[in-house]
This record gives sequence, C-alpha cells and structure tokens, in this order.
Amino acid sequence: MVLKDLAGDRLKRRLRFFPWLAVAVALTACADSNHGKTSIERSVVRIVNHSQRGDWYSPWLSRAPTYSGGSGFVIEGGLVMTNAHVVSDSRMILLYLDGDPTPHEARVKAIGHDCDLALVEPVEPGLLESLPAMAFGGLPKLGSSVETYGYPAGGQRISSTRGIVSRIEKATYAHSGADSHLTVQTDAAINPGNSGGPVIQDGRVAGVAFQASTELENVGYFIPSEVIDHFMKDVADGTYHGYPDLGTQVVNLENPAARRGSKMQPDQSGVRVEFVYPGSSADGYIREGDVLLAVDGYPIANDGTIALDGLRLSFELLLDRRLAGETVPLEILRDGERHPISVPMQVYPPFSAYRRLYDQLPRYYVYAGLVFVPLNTEVIVALGESVPEHILYELYFRPIEEPLAVRREPVVLLRRLDHAVNGDLSWYRDLVVDRVNGHSIDNLEQLIEAIESNRESSHIFEFAYYGRLGVLDRQAADTANEEILEIYGVPEDRNL
Amino acid sequence: MRELRALGLGFRVIACLVAAAFFASTAAAQSPYKDKIVALRVTRQLFNEDRPWAKQNPDVREGTAVVISSALLLTAASMIQNATYIQVQKHGRADWIPARLVHQDSAINLALLSVDQPGFFDDLTPADIAKSAATEGVVHSVRWKDRQFELSNSRPGRIEVIESPYGSVHHAILRLSTDFSAGGWAEPVFAADKLIGITVTQDGQTATVVPAEILKAYVDSSARAGDGYRGFASIGGLRWQTNTDRALSAYLGLEGEPRGVFIRQVPWGSTGCSSLRPRDILLELDGHEIDASGNYNHPVYGQLRFEHIVVEGHAPGDVVLARVFRDRQFIDLEIELRSYPSSARLIPWRRAESDPPYLVAGGFVFRELDGRYLNTWGTDWRAKAPNQLRYFFDLLGSAQAPERRRIIVVSQVLPAAYNIGYHGVADLPVKSINGFEVDSIADAEQAFEQSPDDLHRIVFYPNSTVREVVLDRETFEDATQAILSAYDVPARLRLPDRELPDLGPPCPDDR
Repeated sequence: MVLKDLAGDRLKRRLRFFPWLAVAVALTACADSNHGKTSIERSVVRIVNHSQRGDWYSPWLSRAPTYSGGSGFVIEGGLVMTNAHVVSDSRMILLYLDGDPTPHEARVKAIGHDCDLALVEPVEPGLLESLPAMAFGGLPKLGSSVETYGYPAGGQRISSTRGIVSRIEKATYAHSGADSHLTVQTDAAINPGNSGGPVIQDGRVAGVAFQASTELENVGYFIPSEVIDHFMKDVADGTYHGYPDLGTQVVNLENPAARRGSKMQPDQSGVRVEFVYPGSSADGYIREGDVLLAVDGYPIANDGTIALDGLRLSFELLLDRRLAGETVPLEILRDGERHPISVPMQVYPPFSAYRRLYDQLPRYYVYAGLVFVPLNTEVIVALGESVPEHILYELYFRPIEEPLAVRREPVVLLRRLDHAVNGDLSWYRDLVVDRVNGHSIDNLEQLIEAIESNRESSHIFEFAYYGRLGVLDRQAADTANEEILEIYGVPEDRNL
Repeated sequence: MRELRALGLGFRVIACLVAAAFFASTAAAQSPYKDKIVALRVTRQLFNEDRPWAKQNPDVREGTAVVISSALLLTAASMIQNATYIQVQKHGRADWIPARLVHQDSAINLALLSVDQPGFFDDLTPADIAKSAATEGVVHSVRWKDRQFELSNSRPGRIEVIESPYGSVHHAILRLSTDFSAGGWAEPVFAADKLIGITVTQDGQTATVVPAEILKAYVDSSARAGDGYRGFASIGGLRWQTNTDRALSAYLGLEGEPRGVFIRQVPWGSTGCSSLRPRDILLELDGHEIDASGNYNHPVYGQLRFEHIVVEGHAPGDVVLARVFRDRQFIDLEIELRSYPSSARLIPWRRAESDPPYLVAGGFVFRELDGRYLNTWGTDWRAKAPNQLRYFFDLLGSAQAPERRRIIVVSQVLPAAYNIGYHGVADLPVKSINGFEVDSIADAEQAFEQSPDDLHRIVFYPNSTVREVVLDRETFEDATQAILSAYDVPARLRLPDRELPDLGPPCPDDR
C-alpha cells in the first residue's frame, strides 16, 4: 500500500457505493411461490440494515439511526455473503428471502472493511437450510459475459442483468477509501441495492457486486473470487485479521538509465524500492534502493506488472494473496547482486488511520471543554472543507517526510466547548498536539496521562506547527471540568 | 379621472428623474475633481506560468490615476504591473497619450507615472494629499469611464490593518461603501477637495482604499530619489498570537491584566530578527502600548493592529524602541526596522515585475514554486493544486533559511524517448541534483554539470509517487536540444533577473 492510494483523491471521488437509502419499505403481503425460480434467484436475499454511526465532530454523540438496503446470497454453513458496507454500523439487520414477506433478524458473523465483504447469519437456526448454497467460480475472462443478481433501488423483486467483463485490475475499494485489491469491471447494470449481490458466470459466483463509477456510464465493479477466497480463509479461525502490507513504496524502472542506476543487467526487470515504512513487513528485509525482481516466482516487469492468467496485473496482487503471518518469497537485486528472500507478511496498523472507520465509536477525551481526538480520516471528513492544511499534512504527508518521527496516533484538539475557564482560548481548535506539560504526545492515552498526572499550577499545551502555545489554570480547569460536561450533555469525559 | 391621476403621477416621476439627471450632470460639470484625475489604460502581458518561456496573449486594463504634481500621476502599482504600453486620457477627450512609469513599489502597491507630451499637465491641477483619511461623513470616489466623469458619494467604514496584496507590508486601509460598479481600479477618493486615498480593490460595493498617510509617505520618499527610495518597513513574517489568555500570561509571569502580543516565530530577514525572540511578550513598540488583542491607539484612527506602527512615519533602517517581557523580566530593546518583500518569503505569493526563471534539462521543466504558479490551478487552487505544493506553501512558505531560499519544482516533463518512464512526473519539489542541494535555478543548472558518473540523478522531496529520477548523462545535452526544438522552447534557461534580497545574518533565536 502506498500513500498515494491512501490519499486516493481522484479514484475515491470517482467511486460511489450503494447503501441504498429507502424512504419506506412497504412489505408486500403476498408471497411468491418458488415455482419457476432458479436456484440462484432463490439463494439471493434482500438485506435491510438499520444502522447508527458515531459523530466524529461531537464524538460523545451518536447520529440518528438510518436504514439502507442491499443484497446478499446464501453460501455454505447457513451464512449469507454480502458487502461490508451493506451491514456496517448495524443496530439491526433484517433478511428477506425470495418470496417470503417475513423479515428475519440476522447478525454479522464476520466483516472485512478493507475488502468490503461480510458474512451474516440469521438469528433463527436453520433458516437457510432449504435454500441452495451458492458455489464460487474463478476469475472470469475478459470479454466473457456475467449476470448480476440483486435488489436494485430497493425493489422487493429480484432483478438480474447481463453484461460483459470489460477490465480486470487493481483498484481502490471505496468502502475503506484506502485499500486497493483486484477488481472486475463490467457493463452489467450495478445499481444501488445491488451491493452484496452475486455476479454469476456458468452458474457459479464470479464475484460480489459492490461499487460503480460516477464518471463512466454503465460501469460497475465486482469483487472477484480471489478476494472472496482471501476473506474466507482469513475468517476461518473466527476472526478477521485483514490484509497484510509489504510496507514499501516502489517506482517503475522503464527508463534504461534508471535500470543502469540500479545496477541491473540488460535481461533484468523490476521496480525500485523508494521507501520502506518503519515497522512494516519489509522493514529489516528490504532496503531503499533494492530492486524487486520477482514475487512468488513471477518476474516483475519494469512497469510493475506480472503476467498472470493471460493478464498483466500489478505485482502487488500476488502480495494480496497472502494472509497475515504467511511469508512471501521475493527476489531482490541489491548492489547488483540477486538475493532470494522470504518476507513474513503482517498487517501494518498505522495504515488504519487512512481508512474510513465502521462499527466503532470515536475515541475522544474532553477536559475543561477542550475536545481531543486521535487524528484519522473520519476527523478529516468531519471537518469537511474547513480542514486546515496542517491537519492534512500531519495525517497524509508527515509519515512520508518524517517516517521515524511519525506519531503512532497523532492527537488533535478538535474543538472547544465554550466556558469561562477556556474563554480566552478562542483559537483553540483544529490543532495538532505536540507536547502537554512537557511530555511528547504519541496517542490519546499519553495525553490523558500528561494532563491527569500534572501537579503544577498550569497545564501547558504546545501545538505542532507555527509555535502555538496554550495554557490552562489547572485548578480552575479541574473545577470546571464536571460542570462543562454537564452543561454540554457529555455523558463521559472519554471513550478510549 | 383615474387615467388622469396615473398620467399625473407618471409626469411627476419623469420630472424628478430629469431633475436628478440635470443636477448630477451639473455636479459633474462643476466637479473640482475632473482636472485632478486622468483615465489610465494599460496594455500588459503576463508569462504563461505553465510554459514559462512563453507569454500569454496581451490584455488591456483601464483605471484611474490622480495628478499629484506638475509632472507626476499617482496610481496603484497593480495597475501597471507587466505593462507593455501605458496611456492616459484627460477631460474625457478621445485621444490616448503615452505615459511612462517613473517609479513603483509593488510592496505598498503604489506607482508614479509621467507624460512626456509637452503641455500635458497644463490644464490639470495637482491634488493635495490630506493628512489623514476621513473616517466619517461622505467622501467622493471619482473616475473617468468611457470618457464620462463619474462620481460616487461614498461612505467610509472600518479602518483595518491588512497585508498589502503584493508584499508583506501590514498597513492601515479604509473600507469604503461605494456606488461604483466594477471598481477597484485605482479610483482616487477625495474629501473636502483633498485626496484621502486610492482604491486598490473592490469586492461588491466595498472598496479597499490606501489612506492618505501612506500616499504621502510614498510620494515624499520617491521624491528623494537622490537619497535612494527607502520603501516601507514591515512587521511581515513575524508570527504572533494575541495574549488574551490570562493563564498564558500568568504562566509566563506577567502580572496584572494580560497585555501585549505573544511572539511565536521570528523568521530570517524579518523586523526583529536579531532582537525579538519566540515566547517574548511584545508590550510596547515605538512608544505605543500594545493591548492583549494586538491593537494600539492610533491618534486619528483609534484602535489599530500594532503592525501599522512601523509603517507610518518610519522606513527601513529606522531604529525604534520596544519593550518586551522575557524570562519574567521587562527588557527594553532597539529594533531595526526592515522591509519584508514578497521575495523574502521561501514561496513568494507574488513575483512582481520579473520574468519566471526556468530550466529545461532532459525535458524536465524546472521552475521556482511561487504564487503565480499555484494560481495556474485557478483561484480555487487550494482545492485543486497538488497536496505537496499546498503543504509547502502553508507550512514552509513563510520563511527562507540561508540554505533554502527557494523551492524548485519540476513542473512537467516534455515527453521524449530520452525521458521515457518519467512522462507523468509533475509538480514535485526538487531536493538535490547529482548530490547537490538545489534552491535556485542557477543551482540546478550547475548541478547538471557536476555529475559524478555517467548518470544524472534528480532527488525529490519525499512524496508518494517518485523520489528519484535517473537520466543518462552522455545523451543528456543532445536530448535536451532535441526536446527544446521539438517543443518550440526558445531557450533552455532563464535565470532570475534580480538577486534575492539581502536578509542579513540569521536570527540567533529563531526556531
């Protein structure tokens, strides 16, 4: 994963996803018979998700509950597969089986936000036993036809459309906004409500419909079986661990001088490592300036692609096939010499700050009306267009410029709840906390400790960028703290 | 009967309109200002900042200049920047007469013009510059527009201190409510027959006017041409915050009511560079007490931001007294005032009156990062310009350091077989070339002559795309010439046409 993908601006804007917001769900009273229905149609279910998200600007609050509709399909084990974004932040999930007007309560069994897949199980045991479990196929060929099934636009009748596979490539998954995996593009109509529905080829599931392009007409995307397979293996132990990352930034070597500069022979090809994230899988195995020649036995071309199943795809897709804890064999060129190495692949936690967050409430700490939160993408979204440049820099660019100085969890003074004790601090908002009472701040817990352990007469806040300094009278702040929480209806001063 | 009444009402309306038009034209005909101003027409041509070797199509802007002596016209410097031809027109006559630039100070945004045509000034009357701008009552904004004299009864509003658009002089300006449409093109403003200001911008019906004190200081200083124009001192570059925070004041040990301003950063080359320190509380400057909001009491305008203190009645080189609270002690300092032109910034917002330096090497286009380049993404460049350039501008852009005086970027690559693999490289700040740190176009040019081996290596500041580019040295010169020819670039190099300002020794306590 590279930060370009994390910032992801253009592609992220281009993609939209489909938690279809129904105005009303009028359940029909008449039941369809299964007569005349294919097994595929019987196995596709409609999902209604009543969800509720936290408020990242007023982090002690929850937003109003909302509901959305999507699709899913029955697989082995009495489970329904769907998209993560269909069942995220759920408070209640209802399944509607084909031809059955009765809503059936369900719960999330496993969810992978980085690959936008989830497994849902009905609360009622054996509910899906009478329905055929769908089997998975392989990666469809370019130009081959596929059919999508689902409940687009919130309709209560199943719908299917046929289309052609028009592109297979690595692309950003809009749900997390920060992860790129293999994606298949098709012109089969994929509309809001189709999310989570199966894409079928030769009677088997070729993928899960999940997003569409807002720039191109009639272009939809589905998650191919390769990604589904990775998800299923990952959750086999009951826990989803997520995709591991190599943790390198590489550059193509299409220019002959660049290859010469990397001491490559004319018959060698590959990509040059420009940056290794400290603490990542590659740290200690790969150095900046190394050339990645091959991964998993596949030679890497100078444009960073490998030949795979008749396609030229990003070499990173082979890394994607690894589960956390598995190793990946690489061949590198260092100072002109080839070295086979084996790198244990691990999830790289710092990258999680670049993802949208689901199924969790914001972490925060309120003291004397000052609202502190960890810096992450949700905070950026909450600040909207008013987000200051130094906040964006701190999150997206500082790790690139100062990898060793990067904080584990930058803390931001997000806002101020007006009160006499902080009334002089009108500029106290949207500031990255550098030090508190002389202590460097690497995460929210450290900030709390720095405040609560202070016995001096003042609290000293030093903010990153521009030398800003703020001071609170400790005794006055301690005294006002409870009162401020009460006035503003903050039930707890923290969520950690 | 009803029809008659309607006719009667209509007649009265028409009569009023005729009367109003009559009085307006009479007022215009009798206006004492018509002889004091001329229409100004400036043909100008800007460089194409994307292709800095080329110029854009010329355009024409029209405005106003005011007569201030028997041979000089005063206008806004923004009117005549990048001028290729300047003309004036008087008394609404048809003929446009060539004028020439005598002096300009883009930092304060004022300029002097003259006209060589014999007798041009004979039927014009110099305007007297008032001592101060009026802050109440009705004032007159005037201009010639399409050979018609126009006068607006304007109403003074707030006096504020703002940073001049072309420099870093923080000075007082007058906000004026005006009836002019599409104003802001150097319309003079009069009160009681005296010139009280020149309009430099207009947003809606609110004009921003440079007040009389500034005009007078500029005209007087430029008249001392023999002694050298001294320009305007500025507090520009200094970062400070209000000291309204009682807890902060108490923490620093300042007893009593919070007062003064808290100094955060003192960049190289700024006023106070060798005297003020971060975490000082600046309490007094030139005998004026500074309150906790950063204001002082101006004898005419009342509460003004303290930055104006160094502008009015002072010039660069003057020494003023200051009182600071430092390390729990009151200390009296002497502060030498300096100018802080836009060019003193690491990333200048404006590049007044100079051609963009550039270098084309191996098809890579190198240029200085400045506001004009950022504006190639449009007025909403903050939403559209590449993240790294925006970060550099906001987080690094204010202060130069002796070892880093400009940011050089590769703005684009002119595609050729030589630079294949790099065609997508664009808008990346350059850190070094062939191992030599680069902070000027001249540095870049020299670095390409000092390759240690058979390759050229361009290293960029860390970014998320490309950090190092490697090029072949042996074919570099031939490829560069071929690319210049293919893309119709007349010259591979343009060096800056003026040296960077002398910012003096580094600030010992800056951080």
